[in-house]
Amino acid sequence: MKLELRRIHIKDIQFGNETVVKDGILTINQEELVNKLKEDERIKEVKVDLARPGEKVRIIPVKDVIEPRVKIEGEGNGFPGVTTKMAQVGSGKVNVLYGAAVVTVGDIVGFQEGVIDMWGEGAKWTPFSKTYNIVVDIKPVEGLAPHTHEETVRLAGLKAAEYIGEAGRNIEPDEVLVYEMGSHAEESKKYPDLPRVLYVEMLISQGLLHDGYIYGVNSQLILPTLLHPNEELDGAVISGNCVAACDKITTYQHQNNSVILDLYEQHGKTINFLGVILTPELTTLEGKFRTCDYTAKLCKTLGADGVIISEEGYGNPDSDLLMICKRLEKEGIKTVLITDECSGWDGMSQPLADTTEEAVAVVSTGNVSHVIKLEPADKVIGDINAITTLAGGWEGCLEEDGSLQCELNAVIGSTSEIGYHNCTVKLY
Amino acid sequence: MVYIGEVNMKRKDYQIITNNPLVKENYDRVIFVDGGFQDVLIKTRDLVHSGYKLISHPLGASIRMFFSPYRSILITDKADKLDMEHVEIIENSIVSYKKQMDHRKPDEANSKDYACIDGELLKSALEEHERLSI
Repeated sequence: MKLELRRIHIKDIQFGNETVVKDGILTINQEELVNKLKEDERIKEVKVDLARPGEKVRIIPVKDVIEPRVKIEGEGNGFPGVTTKMAQVGSGKVNVLYGAAVVTVGDIVGFQEGVIDMWGEGAKWTPFSKTYNIVVDIKPVEGLAPHTHEETVRLAGLKAAEYIGEAGRNIEPDEVLVYEMGSHAEESKKYPDLPRVLYVEMLISQGLLHDGYIYGVNSQLILPTLLHPNEELDGAVISGNCVAACDKITTYQHQNNSVILDLYEQHGKTINFLGVILTPELTTLEGKFRTCDYTAKLCKTLGADGVIISEEGYGNPDSDLLMICKRLEKEGIKTVLITDECSGWDGMSQPLADTTEEAVAVVSTGNVSHVIKLEPADKVIGDINAITTLAGGWEGCLEEDGSLQCELNAVIGSTSEIGYHNCTVKLY
Repeated sequence: MVYIGEVNMKRKDYQIITNNPLVKENYDRVIFVDGGFQDVLIKTRDLVHSGYKLISHPLGASIRMFFSPYRSILITDKADKLDMEHVEIIENSIVSYKKQMDHRKPDEANSKDYACIDGELLKSALEEHERLSI
């Protein structure tokens, strides 16, 4: 498959009479966008707002983040199986409004967290303080069942990204990135001596607010599945995860999956990158055993020498991560695990909910319990009451001047377990 | 939020340990625990030590779900030989829960929503259990 991601660098966003891109400035016709989204009768009200890097603006609670794009050549514009007709993605040419992001807010439940601060301390911890954000606040009609409410907000975000992405259709890109990889047979013939490496990407797959979708199929219903890396880079995987703000893989992060991009960079140089295995994190133990056995078997069948495994979430998924690690290591396949930690305020507690002696190469993407201080914002887009949810429920977290102390687990993307975030690692 | 009632299960080989009043109202085979999340974990541990097996994992999948006042866990309906792997899982879960929640209180302000989501996750767990034939 050959995929061209053609980046149009966005330097600012504004509202205007038409939705266009000119000289790097993205202008949006607010009314047109709102009317487009309200074609879904389940939506009662849509508010669109803009948030630029550096502004004292807080966005909360964030449901999803999506990169606006348009496919100008090849199959599968939009999100096949979800917002558009089924198509095979991973090939063709895609114009990307690079630097812009659609951010959906609109809580399905009162305890949803997920803050993006565009300035100050909070901005340091989320990658989306650097993007020009088009914030879409969806209010559905009354009386919707919870699954329908979640689906409505999810689809609205994706459609907004498609509508806005369309503005990039005839614009010349500032840079073009080419992702080309053939079959395993072809690539292994080219690079017979390079170690064969697979990427196992775990997805929360446990029910409402804990979902992921591959070509529109809920990941709770799948066996571990092999994907060409281009497919994820081209919209095959979207997020239905609304709970784990710090490490949920937003749709934007799927479209720009750092592990995939880094492995691609090394393909043909230091490794033979075999692709991505999407592995669901199920709820039942039998389901977990089946998934972990199946993942290990797929890795073995594909002849992997090494496997990189990333997790999504914390708690019961830690068991899956370590079970897959153990099974692979026992087969002589080397593993590297990527996960965040829940190590307490001082960083000294056991990082995961489970342990295994085979896990000897683990990359930490940060401590979700690390406390930061967020100052009061000039403007809050979304639900101002959600701030109290962020505060984490312990004595002294809310201060008199309106500042609050909150843990990183409330900040969108702060400890991204696929590495799409701002934290770095220091070796001692 | 509207709570939609129980799943139409063909399988009967489970019990639900829960402190969630919505679950107690809408499901059969409930062992109701009059207490908090931790009490549900402890009850589960006691039963696992008596030979019952875990069907669903005792913990949720994100930190946020640790703050829930409610938790529902699926176990087998019949006791069997003690399984150390299951004992380890539930004991580790209690340790993890305590580590998370020692210095904070459950999020009572949102308890209605947590009750609903706990119910939804239980429904998904039951559907998953139904899809497995063993």
